[in-house]
Amino acid sequence: MFIISPWLLTAFVVFAASAFLGFAFRWQGQVRYWALAAGGLSGLLGTQLAMWPLAYCTFELERMWLDRFLGCLIVLVCTAFFLWISHWVISRLSVGEGLLPKAETYAGVFRSPLAPLLTALCLLPTLIILSIFHYYPLFQTFRLGTRLVRLGAPKTKFVCLDNYTSLFLDPNYWYSLGLTFVIALGVVTVAMSLGLLIAQMVNLPLRGANIYRALLIWPVAISPVVAGVLFQLLLNPVTGVVNHLLENSLGVRIPWLGHAGFATLSIVLTAAWNQMGFNILFFIAGLKNISPELLEAASIDGANAFQGFFRITLPLLSPFTFFLIVTNTIYAFFQTFGVIDILTRGGPVNATVSAMYRVYVVGVLGKDLGKAGAQSLVLLLIVVGITILQFRGSQERVSYGV
Amino acid sequence: MNLKQPLLALVLGLVLLSGFASSQTCTEASPCDITVWQIFADHRGDWIMDTATRFNDLYPQYNVVIENPGDYFAILDQYTLAQEQGNPPAIAQIFDAGLQFAADSGYFKYADDIIDGREEVLGQEVNFSDIVSPASSYYTIDGRWASVAWNTSTSISYANMDILKDVGINAIPTTWQELLSACEALQPKVDAGELEGCASWPFDNWFTEQWLAQMNQYLVNNENGRAERATELLLTTDEFLSIANFYRELFEKGYYVYTGTRRDWAGAGNLFNSGRVAFSLSSSADARNKVEAAKAGDFELATGKLIRNADYDYNGNIIGGATMWITAGLEPEVEEGAMAFLLFMNNTENSASFHTASGYIPIRNSSVELLQNLKSGNNVFWDVDNKSRTDIEGSNWYEINPNFLTASVQLAESNVNNASAGAKFGTFRETRDLIEAGMEDVMLNGKDPVQVFTAVKTESDKLLEDYNFLYTDN
Amino acid sequence: MRMAAQPSELRSETYVKPKSIFPRRWYAHLILLIAVVIIGFPLFYAILVATQTNMEVIRYQFFPGTGLRENWNFMINQLGLGRFMLNSLFISVTVAIGKVLFSLLAGLGLVYFRYPGKWLIFGFIILTLMTPTDVLAIALFRLVNAFHWADTYAALTVPFFASATSVFLFRQHFKSIPPELSEAAQLDGANPFQFLFKVLIPLSWSTIGAIVVIMFLDTWNQYLWPLLIIRSQEQQVVQVGIAKALVEIQNDQAYGPLMMGAVLASLPPLIVFLLLQKQFMKGFALTRDK
Repeated sequence: MFIISPWLLTAFVVFAASAFLGFAFRWQGQVRYWALAAGGLSGLLGTQLAMWPLAYCTFELERMWLDRFLGCLIVLVCTAFFLWISHWVISRLSVGEGLLPKAETYAGVFRSPLAPLLTALCLLPTLIILSIFHYYPLFQTFRLGTRLVRLGAPKTKFVCLDNYTSLFLDPNYWYSLGLTFVIALGVVTVAMSLGLLIAQMVNLPLRGANIYRALLIWPVAISPVVAGVLFQLLLNPVTGVVNHLLENSLGVRIPWLGHAGFATLSIVLTAAWNQMGFNILFFIAGLKNISPELLEAASIDGANAFQGFFRITLPLLSPFTFFLIVTNTIYAFFQTFGVIDILTRGGPVNATVSAMYRVYVVGVLGKDLGKAGAQSLVLLLIVVGITILQFRGSQERVSYGV
Repeated sequence: MNLKQPLLALVLGLVLLSGFASSQTCTEASPCDITVWQIFADHRGDWIMDTATRFNDLYPQYNVVIENPGDYFAILDQYTLAQEQGNPPAIAQIFDAGLQFAADSGYFKYADDIIDGREEVLGQEVNFSDIVSPASSYYTIDGRWASVAWNTSTSISYANMDILKDVGINAIPTTWQELLSACEALQPKVDAGELEGCASWPFDNWFTEQWLAQMNQYLVNNENGRAERATELLLTTDEFLSIANFYRELFEKGYYVYTGTRRDWAGAGNLFNSGRVAFSLSSSADARNKVEAAKAGDFELATGKLIRNADYDYNGNIIGGATMWITAGLEPEVEEGAMAFLLFMNNTENSASFHTASGYIPIRNSSVELLQNLKSGNNVFWDVDNKSRTDIEGSNWYEINPNFLTASVQLAESNVNNASAGAKFGTFRETRDLIEAGMEDVMLNGKDPVQVFTAVKTESDKLLEDYNFLYTDN
Repeated sequence: MRMAAQPSELRSETYVKPKSIFPRRWYAHLILLIAVVIIGFPLFYAILVATQTNMEVIRYQFFPGTGLRENWNFMINQLGLGRFMLNSLFISVTVAIGKVLFSLLAGLGLVYFRYPGKWLIFGFIILTLMTPTDVLAIALFRLVNAFHWADTYAALTVPFFASATSVFLFRQHFKSIPPELSEAAQLDGANPFQFLFKVLIPLSWSTIGAIVVIMFLDTWNQYLWPLLIIRSQEQQVVQVGIAKALVEIQNDQAYGPLMMGAVLASLPPLIVFLLLQKQFMKGFALTRDK
């Protein structure tokens, strides 16, 4: 009944992982025989932890190539993760270091016989809330993704990776993902380029710079829903004032919300308006961080203003730029839900259904919790990817937010 | 020593005690709330508020609360969520497309089970045999009333005759083909900017379902899901595709004004009421609305049977609207109160009054008789402005208001079979969305109907298959 | 006088003046003025429309109209926006306070005690940065319903009491406080909680302010979660109320009341933001690897 027997698969992965880790150390010029054992264990854990909850269903005979491919991918990723841990552990042990990082050197710790109890009192509230309201739902989302579950239905059914493969094969889902990235790109471009320009201006020694700043950043405090409502007033087809002004001055009317491209543009503009203040604030903070002496030194070396901007200001701003790219992207992925729900409700003809909006349409309106769970996980993977990128992207990091 | 029996007695005693403690007693001093979720927010909403007040005056131990969570789709979605959360309202208005789901869900107690053969509930007469036959054939499940029938309509055509007569058309179009030629005649007016377009109506799958019924075609297999549980959508039949092509032709020639959003009943209504289009389709429940608009805009309103495809013989039309479902697991007293309220709202006088307030067909045969033989002091007519009831002057309502008769005539002339009874399947609500999206794709983007609806069919079939698996025992 | 209070500006005045990339400042003023007008227009116009009747809106009247009282009545009396705003205010304040308290405690536990596996606990907390609530909404919905928390304030507040960012910020901040302080406190016989309230909190007001403003805005602006979990109008929040108003006015395109609602719903967060603007900017931490 299996195209690849679970035993065969496990044996193969255990062997391959064992050999891989052994060779990995050999290539580094170290011979560690127990690396073979650790590699084997990683392979075992990798296959079992990945495939046991799925009962190896992806390798059943009647499954299509995509299921098998995904199955292999999951095993690979999972095994790679354990290999990475094994490699780290062996490396640390072999240079004689302990597994745990050295104890904190902060001198002001409390010493008291009650310390363990007090520690628990301090940490438990946060840990309990996170376990119940973050980690458990996370686990449930994984579980939902492998089941056919309808809101309110008496039965459910295990469906292997069908919820994922159907996403993979659904052009509408790819459209939603693509659209989400387009919106993110739009928000990043518009809010950041204008934000940097304005921040540069505000950062000049101007009379009233503080007043300008306050008048420029307040939309940060406006919710996406209200932002959507404000732009609905500007752009709606019946009483939209933007079209009224355009018609009077240029004689054109633009179908802001009635045409796929323009509707996307409207969402980008609304979101960028909402996010611009945040960008301005952080660019100002970043610019204040750059010592004027550097720019002056550059100008003495004969660099003109633009060269100074590109050679000094931009590179020094990079942690802020990186942080803003990530924040704007996350905003575009999740917060635009409110904007879309108010401005277009996903229309016209589903042209503005973003990935997050689709979770709502499928899971809440369509009641298909399994598919919605799978889509949530895809979004989660993207967020994880973005976060990793951020951590890799620069050594200096700005952190902020929820 | 045997401890079992004393323990059992103790447990039983506690259970009984807690049962008594929690059993609600509805009294005048602390009346029990009966929450009703319904869709109307306009003058029809005023009507039901007024009726609730009358009921509360009659039964001071109850307090009927009317709430409006949104349209039919919203009520169905919100109700499901509320059930998941354990605090649903006592009564929900579930529309035609929710019939199978409501029956399968286990959320509701069948009306027949609550009535349990009684002839009256708290003094309100039952007499379901008095309910008009199109409603009873649509809403009964295996011959039993699952819910209490209420607002029942059918779709009809509306025309602004002042505009049509201007171009020499003296009768309201009755077929697609007549509409197309009327629109052609009107096109110069549109080009001159006098009109926004020839016709506009809400882009709602309900009309598609009506046209299928007219052409004697099912929407789902197993005779519209009425012979047996439906398993498959029928979206690639010639009849169905003719509808897609009709929309496309209307739109491509610029005859149909699309407001840009699906099911935009208000938007399409405004276009017609303000004289910016000459022709519209709507529910007969819009009759009162349109009559008032014609009075305000000073134009001649005509109503007619829903336009049909002249290439096919006429079979019949479906009803539309919704029925009132009572949540299962209510406190017995609340359940009784809920049923009494629904029977009160649907008694002969109140049904007749609701008909005048909306255009929904009078749900009881006795109401029709009442409207045809009016006596002075009838107090049936709903005065929109003053939000109260007044007398209808005259003895026959339909003679004074012929536009209110169209729907009843259309339903009376319909063949009674499973095509005109309407489709019944569990994912009707979701499928309406999918078909509308497909129809939009054909109309707005000029896509090939066969290709589009083959894809819609695949998706809808999968949904239905999953649904049938989850809600049945096999 | 202002300049004296702003050292960085004073500095740039002295050193950079000749080589700013936009040497002529009138240019900067012009760009900033245009930006202020464009950014301000949506709210400005909304405020105008909030005072107008339907007819005045359709005439695109760029001065206040006569519908103020009517619009107010519709939103406050008919739609019950006041109740929604009170609910939002209550949950925003509760979440902000809850987050601060929980995170202060966690920060204390992460800095002022010594125990094995601390990095694991810190990792456990910080990893939740990667799971936005929106992604978990569907599963959270089922969980909170299982608790029978539907239509309660608990559903809107308790799941949000823990916060990785706030814990992170407090931990950073506490580590920058000289350890001598806690040593002195221990010598005086203070327990950790006394130390927290007597010493740490007074030293942490700016971080607390930052977290309060961020979390207040964040909770006030919540939309998807209350939309899912709250059915009853009694507990509903303002964002869902505004969305509901949009549906209600669509029939007669009555933008006046809607804009009244939008403006009212924006006042509390705008006030909080403008008052705590300085704190808002303290909520970020620039960390350097290694």
